[in-house]
Amino acid sequence: MSQAARRILKPELGGIVPGGLEALTDEELTAFAAMLRVAKRRQSEQLGAAVDEALEIVPRLLRGTIRKILFG
Amino acid sequence: MKGYLSPAVEVRKLARLIGVDAEDLACFERLEGQAIRDLRDQVTVVLFDADRQLLARVATATKLIPAKLAAVIGERAFGPLLCARITGLLDPSRAVDIANHLPVTFLADLSLHLDPRRASRVIGAMPPARVAGIAAELAASEEYITMGGFVGHLSKAALLAALDAVDDESLLRTAYVIEAKQNIAALVALLPDARLDDIIATASSADLWIEALDVLDHVTERQRGTLGDLAAAQDDEVLDSMVRAALSHGLWSEVLPVVRAMSPESRKRFATLKSIQARRVLATIIDAAAEDSLWAELLVLLPLLPTTARRQVAALATSFDLDLFEQIVSTAHEEELWPALIAFAAELDKGPRREIAKLIDESDADVLGSLLSAVHEAGLQADLVTVLRELPAAGQRRLGTRIAAAPTELVEALTEAADAAVLEPLSKALKA
Repeated sequence: MSQAARRILKPELGGIVPGGLEALTDEELTAFAAMLRVAKRRQSEQLGAAVDEALEIVPRLLRGTIRKILFG
Repeated sequence: MKGYLSPAVEVRKLARLIGVDAEDLACFERLEGQAIRDLRDQVTVVLFDADRQLLARVATATKLIPAKLAAVIGERAFGPLLCARITGLLDPSRAVDIANHLPVTFLADLSLHLDPRRASRVIGAMPPARVAGIAAELAASEEYITMGGFVGHLSKAALLAALDAVDDESLLRTAYVIEAKQNIAALVALLPDARLDDIIATASSADLWIEALDVLDHVTERQRGTLGDLAAAQDDEVLDSMVRAALSHGLWSEVLPVVRAMSPESRKRFATLKSIQARRVLATIIDAAAEDSLWAELLVLLPLLPTTARRQVAALATSFDLDLFEQIVSTAHEEELWPALIAFAAELDKGPRREIAKLIDESDADVLGSLLSAVHEAGLQADLVTVLRELPAAGQRRLGTRIAAAPTELVEALTEAADAAVLEPLSKALKA
């Protein structure tokens, strides 16, 4: 794994790149880093949308309190 | 297969975690299974950490609403993936309350995305009936990897319920991909003999010997013996199919320890199976024994083989080098299997017999002492003399002198055998 590929992968893996990935090419590692980035973004978007939808379902009476818990 | 993590299985888990097709990560199959698993662990941490704060707040907010409403919100708004991320952050009893209001199909989908280590307490608190329902759903959709991940986290009652809910084939396939292999012994301990019998029959009929033998590789020695005995009690066709699988998939290193763990009667039945008498089969057994140092397993089997098969093994042993014979002799000593080795050695060609005789001549007092006692006890003096005949006269005299210091009755019996075989140098040294 080149330093360039490591630089791309490391932040996507929270600063820790486990060993044993040497058999992968830089292109393959870079593609994986991109997949990981998409997965994180998709999860955050889904969570945001789910929270919005949940607030619609929660009884009006509780909505304010729950909103406060969720968003401070 | 010990410690084996299939790269293909690990890639499927990693792909599911990041929401891509396994084909997109096909290149990862070049890596060691453990490396993919380490990477998956790190990705799990990263995905969880990415939204940790909001996920934790959702879990807190859940406390304010009734379980039934939380279930509705979970199903309609969050979906199985996000619910899986939140599960481990909930109080276990609260999580179970909510789960009780969710359909089993939803819980099964949620299970696909759950990291069991992060939700262990919730999984452990799940009622057996719910677990059985989820297990049946997962088995129906062939989600064996997911099922295997839960084994070490479920309560005993839930595990029993799940075992009842899945068929034998699903059980074998699940056990094969189980993450915590150390749990297999506990799982097998929960199954009655009748069920184990059925599972062995299924291994044969569904051609799942790779999976079944992997299970046998991870159980206790006692369980291995019991399972081996159950297999040996089945029809010839079942054992023949195991032999075929061992031959075509190179599984003798898994089969031989099972044969060793069997009762003597079961072992005898296995040794006299027609399917293992073929030279090609015996050759692969010998190769596996040599490759994985399974000499004890082989020595236990040898005396039980029919004469023709034993002679074939003896013929195959002519290609052994000194190093292999050293290993065999050392195993015979350590595992107290001298009678099997000496009886077999007596059937070998002159060349290999001479190698063993030389090793006996060069052995230290401890090894020689245990050999002589074992030979005496088994009444194999004639066989030992046949082996020692291959030593030159000087070697016979040297060894005879050492043996002469052994207990009298032992020396006398060996002298008698040497006289009967007209092996003068050895006989004279023993008498002196």
